[in-house]
Amino acid sequence: MNEPPSYLLPLLQLSDSALPTGGFSHSFGMETFLERGLIDGEANFASWLSQFVSIQLTYSDGFALRLAFEAFSVDEIARVDRMVSAAALPREVREAGTKMGARMLAIAGTVAPGARLSGYAADVASGRCAGHPAVAFGVAGRQLGVPLEELLASYLFTAVTSLTQNAIRAIPIGQDAGQRVLLGTHPKIMDAVRRIQALESDDFGITAPGLEIAQMRHERQRVRMFMS
Amino acid sequence: MTGAPAPELPVRRAAVEPAGTLALTVGVRGKRCIATSQYHQGALRILRPHYLDDTSQVCYVVVNPGGGYVGGDEYEIDIAVETEARLLLTTQSATKVYRTPGTRAEQRTHIRLGPNASLESVPDPLIAYRGATYRQATVVEMHGSASLVMAEIVTPGWSPNGALFGYDEIRLRNEISVDGRLVVLDNLLIRPVTGAAPINGMAFLEDYTHMGSLLVMDARVDAALLNELHEQLLPLAEGCNLGMSLLDGGLVIRALSHATEPLDAVIRAGIDFLRFRWYGQPRLNLRKY
Repeated sequence: MNEPPSYLLPLLQLSDSALPTGGFSHSFGMETFLERGLIDGEANFASWLSQFVSIQLTYSDGFALRLAFEAFSVDEIARVDRMVSAAALPREVREAGTKMGARMLAIAGTVAPGARLSGYAADVASGRCAGHPAVAFGVAGRQLGVPLEELLASYLFTAVTSLTQNAIRAIPIGQDAGQRVLLGTHPKIMDAVRRIQALESDDFGITAPGLEIAQMRHERQRVRMFMS
Repeated sequence: MTGAPAPELPVRRAAVEPAGTLALTVGVRGKRCIATSQYHQGALRILRPHYLDDTSQVCYVVVNPGGGYVGGDEYEIDIAVETEARLLLTTQSATKVYRTPGTRAEQRTHIRLGPNASLESVPDPLIAYRGATYRQATVVEMHGSASLVMAEIVTPGWSPNGALFGYDEIRLRNEISVDGRLVVLDNLLIRPVTGAAPINGMAFLEDYTHMGSLLVMDARVDAALLNELHEQLLPLAEGCNLGMSLLDGGLVIRALSHATEPLDAVIRAGIDFLRFRWYGQPRLNLRKY
């Protein structure tokens, strides 16, 4: 009888969008566009989401995941953690990484325990590292033996699912519209996974000005549903 | 094969020979700051020092006598500000990047700031013309007691058909370490035609055309200062898309607009606010000499 790979169930568990990492309280700047009226329905949310995939989830989260996956030591993981934190100029994005990173580390420590992950967790606890979910996910995936491309696709799809669920509540759009948006992200995610594997060190943390400004302006938004 | 044309030589110069090199070290001598060593080669020069007010801060003006950057150009700038010294660095005119067919122009800057040193970097705008690919990488290594204020304005150059964003690619990378710890990795990449997302989309510029930035790293920055600064700048930012945030030991201001002037006003007001608050210095007036 054929069996699924041993990593499949832990990977599904870590990729569950209902995983309590706090993703439901972060919009990563989307709420600023909502307030400005630039996002008000399925089409413009889908457009924003695909831009988010090809920028932030590619050059920051995705690249950090890859480097954490490829890391050959705990020091190397700490270096990636520092880079992804330093690349987040908007304060709320930096803080979202720290908060969600701590939660992801705690959960991954249960689902995929191992020396690398506990080393990273110890560095976060001591303050040497800031903590970031993509770094924790990369380290956990390496321990589980997940191929990098599957790990990247899982992480990216979990992130867009979480943002889509937030959009369903906040815009609001219907559940069916949300599923159409998610289906529409598939080619974007496939493309991002290909690109992430070819990025060079100078590419780390590339962002775009409108996205960054929205993430900064969110700090001063009066009525907010989200922490970022 | 005697009739075959000679292969075209690559435009890029050998990496050992940059188009321009500039090295400047500023220290305190007596009551004033002054260059303790300086070196230039090729298409980068530095004018004689100025003192804009009665503080010890010295002002140096970087000049590019070549008039602009072209394909294959590599510029290397090395700035060191020694203990307690204060340097204001500016340019004589805008940095113009012309067409760089098949290659790019590049500027690499290395900045070192010693204990209690300060650098204000206030260059004229960067103008990238049609077909330009430009990469600017700045690495800052600073002491925890040092102060850095770094401004940047990027404007699209005019192109014959009137279209904006004739440039192919602009990449601006700032890497700042404080006491050996990487704290800011600021990395912008704009490719109007071949970019990761549409140039006029929400993530990039919407319908804005000009971009301004002010990075400040200084232990005196806190949330209260950022709030005060925000109150000062917001009224000046009409017609701009303005964002400000607290960094780990500093702050960042980012703005988009339809012209250079409002961006310049916002960024200059930010610089003026800080230099008055921290040093009691008057408004920066670079045009009076």
